Amino acid sequence: MSRPMMSLADIAAPVASTPVTGPAAHPTRADARTAPPSAAWPDWKTYRLNTESPQVMHIDLNSAFASAEQQAWPNLRGRPMGVTNRVSPQCCVIAASYEAKALGIKVGMRKSEAMEICPEFIILETDPSKYTFMYQNLMRIMKSYSPNFKMKSIDEGVIDFHDTRLVNNRSLADIGTEIKRRMKQDVGKWMRTNIGIGTNRFLAKTAAGLHKPDGLDVLDHTNLVDTYRGMDLQDLSGIADGYGTRLRMYGIRTPLDFLAAPDDLLRKQVFQSINGLHWHERLRGFEVDDYTTHISMVGRQWVVRAPSENDDYLRSCMHYLTETVGTKLRYRGVEARGICVWMGFSAGGGWRAKQMLKTTIYSDRDIWAQVALLFDKRPAHMKVQIIGIYLYQLTPSTRGQLSMLEDAVKLDDLTRATDGINDFYGSFTVHSADTLTGTKHVKQKIPFGGTEYFDLLLKRA
Amino acid sequence: MNPTIEINERVDIVVVFRRYGDISSLCVPVRMRWGTRDIELIELALRHPTTQGKRMIHVFHVSDGSNNYRIEFDAEMLTWTLVSVIEVFDNFDDEVAA
Repeated sequence: MSRPMMSLADIAAPVASTPVTGPAAHPTRADARTAPPSAAWPDWKTYRLNTESPQVMHIDLNSAFASAEQQAWPNLRGRPMGVTNRVSPQCCVIAASYEAKALGIKVGMRKSEAMEICPEFIILETDPSKYTFMYQNLMRIMKSYSPNFKMKSIDEGVIDFHDTRLVNNRSLADIGTEIKRRMKQDVGKWMRTNIGIGTNRFLAKTAAGLHKPDGLDVLDHTNLVDTYRGMDLQDLSGIADGYGTRLRMYGIRTPLDFLAAPDDLLRKQVFQSINGLHWHERLRGFEVDDYTTHISMVGRQWVVRAPSENDDYLRSCMHYLTETVGTKLRYRGVEARGICVWMGFSAGGGWRAKQMLKTTIYSDRDIWAQVALLFDKRPAHMKVQIIGIYLYQLTPSTRGQLSMLEDAVKLDDLTRATDGINDFYGSFTVHSADTLTGTKHVKQKIPFGGTEYFDLLLKRA
Repeated sequence: MNPTIEINERVDIVVVFRRYGDISSLCVPVRMRWGTRDIELIELALRHPTTQGKRMIHVFHVSDGSNNYRIEFDAEMLTWTLVSVIEVFDNFDDEVAA
């Protein structure tokens, strides 16, 4: 279906003759959507930017895993290097040092491609305990300034200073400089930190990306338009190929075009959802991203070390993954009704099977019973390259309640006891004999994105 | 190329425990005997804790100025283990070329 095309010139032409009367009032969210722009006004008035003093700080460790390794191994400093989960000819670079990035080696690139660019490229296996230490230090430092902080991932977080200005009465730039110094002091001198300060989370993150590595930038209504002027559309955090293409379809080719686009165009045509309005406000520095997310699924995947069709091997690895997913499920205090087993084949293509159960599952034994049923339905004689499992339709666990069924109570007690032993003596101290092969082959993975399982990771590390 | 050489051998370590300082400088390994080699450690690059179950392991990344070492102190068994080494890179380019 074709969408009506409108050019920005038709929609958002500034009204040059709009008179300015009285002192300039700071715009509100409502003004930002309704007041007509004026070419004669300063940029912040033309675009109705948020003129509040910036109170949100985004902290981002530069090339975090690679920097941590360079900190630990002085011989690697200044060299193109990266880390991967498991070294193999076709492994992916999951973090690259700045020296490697300068040569064009990117995250996600295969080791073989990186070695073509730089034959001296060094690649190490990930060391989760090191990154956990770095993460904990970053979190501790952030927490010392405000209780209103949130880790966005293993190497970045946000502090909202709105409610703590009475105690943090220094400028945020001073505090940012101090955070950079403390990271160097507490973790190591090779740790470089990018800090961005803005009126909302989006601008703070944008500011943190302006001068890598080791930058500190403030974005507010006085310099926002100039900053957008020097950026490409897809430099904006959250605008990748999909949204980029959609925006360009409507004549929005630069961040300034995006800023000038009226909320009606964004909401009703470009994004066709409330997202359009959110972008309209986000770009102006109004906060729309301060919300809490809820977990909707728990899962784990694993790239098979040597692609195989061997049933015993795959079964053991799948059983191992199932037990790690079970641990995550109970760690989050939830139970699941939905279960999905999937795999990708080395010849290409994949397979998945889903099952919605009548009752929730919680113990490793119950989860594996369902996973095994699905696993047995997979296409035979296919070499498997990647396997995975996830549980969905999560509900808060009710296992604390007494059950009329004695067996159910015993199983819950056994599960709790097993988790307790594994918690105390180390993960997989007690596990199914069936997972023995899996424990040898499946390696711990660094959880990108969310930080929900970091305490669990720390125990396993 | 992964330059890490796995060792996993028990070693003798001389450690200085300081009265004052931040946590990264309170406990510093200064000398290591690995087999017949006496190695003076001149840089503590990173120290971080980890656990094996509830057992605390302190990981020290140290350097003698040319080679880098990862040594681990098991706080329960009171043992020091040289886990791995990354040697100086002077010969590394030749090795890659070979």
